[in-house]
Amino acid sequence: MLRIEHYSKTYPGGKKAVDDLTLHVRPGEIYGFIGHNGAGKTTTLRAVAGVMDFTEGTITIDGHDVKKDPVGAKRVTAFLPDNPDLYEFMKGIDYLNFIADLYDISAEQRTADIKKYGDAFELTGNLGSPVGSYSHGMRQKLALISAFLRRPRLLILDEPFVGLDPSASHIMKGYLADLCRGGSAVFFSTHVLEVAEKLCHQIAIIKDGRLVKCGPTDELVGDSSLEDVFLELEGDK
Amino acid sequence: MKKFFALLKVSVKSMLLSSTNSQGGSRKRAATGVGAMVLIAFLGLYMSGFYSWMLMDVLAPVHMEVLVFIFMGMGALVGGLLFTTFAVKGVVFGGRDNDLLLSMPVSSTMLMASRVSAIYLENLLFSLFVLGPAGAVCAFMTQSGVGHSALFWVRLVVAVFALPLLDTALSVLFGALVAFLSARVSKGALGQNIVMALYLAAVFYFSFNLNGMIEGLAANAAGVKESLSWAAPMLWMADGIMGEWGKLLLFAACCILPFALVVFGLGRVYRQAVTAFAARSARSDYKLSAQSASGQKKALLDKEAKRFFGTPMYFWNSGLGLIMLVAMGVAALVMQEDLRMYLGLLGDMMPVMPMAALVMLFCLSMSAIAAPSISLEGKYLWILREAPVGEGELLWIKTGFQLLLSVPCTVISGVLLTIALQLSTLEGAALLLATLLFNLGHAAFGMLMGLTFPKLDAVNETVVLEQGMAVMLGMFVPMAAVGGCALLYWAGGKLAPWAALALPLSLLAALTAVCVFVLVKKGPAMLKAL
Repeated sequence: MLRIEHYSKTYPGGKKAVDDLTLHVRPGEIYGFIGHNGAGKTTTLRAVAGVMDFTEGTITIDGHDVKKDPVGAKRVTAFLPDNPDLYEFMKGIDYLNFIADLYDISAEQRTADIKKYGDAFELTGNLGSPVGSYSHGMRQKLALISAFLRRPRLLILDEPFVGLDPSASHIMKGYLADLCRGGSAVFFSTHVLEVAEKLCHQIAIIKDGRLVKCGPTDELVGDSSLEDVFLELEGDK
Repeated sequence: MKKFFALLKVSVKSMLLSSTNSQGGSRKRAATGVGAMVLIAFLGLYMSGFYSWMLMDVLAPVHMEVLVFIFMGMGALVGGLLFTTFAVKGVVFGGRDNDLLLSMPVSSTMLMASRVSAIYLENLLFSLFVLGPAGAVCAFMTQSGVGHSALFWVRLVVAVFALPLLDTALSVLFGALVAFLSARVSKGALGQNIVMALYLAAVFYFSFNLNGMIEGLAANAAGVKESLSWAAPMLWMADGIMGEWGKLLLFAACCILPFALVVFGLGRVYRQAVTAFAARSARSDYKLSAQSASGQKKALLDKEAKRFFGTPMYFWNSGLGLIMLVAMGVAALVMQEDLRMYLGLLGDMMPVMPMAALVMLFCLSMSAIAAPSISLEGKYLWILREAPVGEGELLWIKTGFQLLLSVPCTVISGVLLTIALQLSTLEGAALLLATLLFNLGHAAFGMLMGLTFPKLDAVNETVVLEQGMAVMLGMFVPMAAVGGCALLYWAGGKLAPWAALALPLSLLAALTAVCVFVLVKKGPAMLKAL
């Protein structure tokens, strides 16, 4: 589903944020991407989502090259940044319809999906209010609904659990699993190692822009915990 | 005081960076920014110098130089109010750094004072640009010798520094009202738009009356001064500049007192005001019904429209020129007989069609709708970048939105002016052709300026719309192009009548073609690189 081959990103000024990263996410997989602050996680996710240009390598999503066919790649992708700033001058329902229009989602499908996800995240009643009046958690939920609405082949999430209450986190995990059962894939970054350990089929650990370890969660963790593995690889233990 | 200056430095630095766009940019770009600021300063000084000269020419022979300072003082006051009232909502009450600064160990009065001082500095520029040239003109043209003493300049400097205090106090009060309305009224944007419409109507009414006064100045200058007794502080200021120290001190007190009252009065409740103006809670009574679908282009255009009409500062800053354009056409049609009579009196002194085109192009220059649209995306830009829409298409949606608003206004105004001024079919067609060409070039140029001088990290819309380099260049460079067209018309007229029309039209066509070409070729890559 997602193929990142020899991807590197150098910022103006010469700082190499990511260096020769290669990883593959298969359909039906939840892939966790972990690393310390500034390791290059967000830079990678933004490049995959087509939000940010990159210097070397290739990224393909469901057969669409992010550089050569960006619109095709974006059509099958949904991206949720760590702090989703949504148009404050729009009402919640207007924002969802805006996104649905951009992705050519039919009236029937969007009505059904907005109801399904809006009710699940307990946001339907608030959809008539401007986004500017939403709390951080409500914005996060709205952004999540807009992502699920697209029924993406690849869902990219940057720190999705930040700002969500425990109930919403639980619901989101359920929908992520549903999405993968339908043949899509999820690629997400997190600092919550317990969640990553329980949720992910595959995990990649990145340090200073370089991939230090990746593989199936069971194999990676073995008899210890993901926290132990992570701290050992990071050299903190 | 150390803390106050540290806070003031932050406010001023943010204003300056947004104007010159030098933060993290190339030297070339910073130099362009500074160059543009110098150009704008020059234009401001030139315009106020020109008006002062016009007034002084009439008034100096009757020893009524004082009236020049009254009128120019009023101009500075009204201009400053227009420029900063909506800025107050963003800079004083709506900064994105409010949470950060309010959590610091500084008094809210000090924080308020630092923010208000930043507004004062903006108004000070207005005061300097308007009263400075008036003083210089007075020194050259006075027939009573009043502008020749050093003390005259000392008094003028006192007035230049005092006037913005009054301006700032008034704009903070109006700005607080606007911020209050936005937070309290459910249709906040509509409420603000109504307040702004009433405010502008009052300003225009005042300006028309002022024009009437200026016409009768030479005949009855003393009477005009007497009739302005309602604007006592302006009279004190002008009398003060002319030599009455007592009145100058009275004027200074009249400026300092409201400023101090506003700073210390509102400063005491600043924290409460910021909280109240920001407080909006989401309602929870929405009932979901069947939704309807539309296409990508319509969704993107709707989004631009929601932002434009739902953001009063955007609407009034960028849409005022279009409102003036249509209002001018309607006024010309309603008052067509008076207008024709007036033009008949002028005879061949004023070529009607080029003058109509000039005024229309001036109004269109003011309508920089595309120029700020990239910066207004700011923190939301990721939504468009993530969307399955190509960069080129996004740019043309934004450029097209400006055209969607400006083209109908241009056609309406052009047709009404053609009827009112009884222009021939050929002249009417030339008027429409020139203004429509300008529309396209202006929108494409504005978009390019938006891409060249983006301000994606602006703390609020004010910074983008009133201090942003893209908007300034998006307005003033087209105005300079209009000036170039006027010159070509004049030069062409010396050659042949057809050349007078053909040369400016060719210039407009060439400039438009260049802007569109550069936008098509470079625009998408520029957007991608942001």
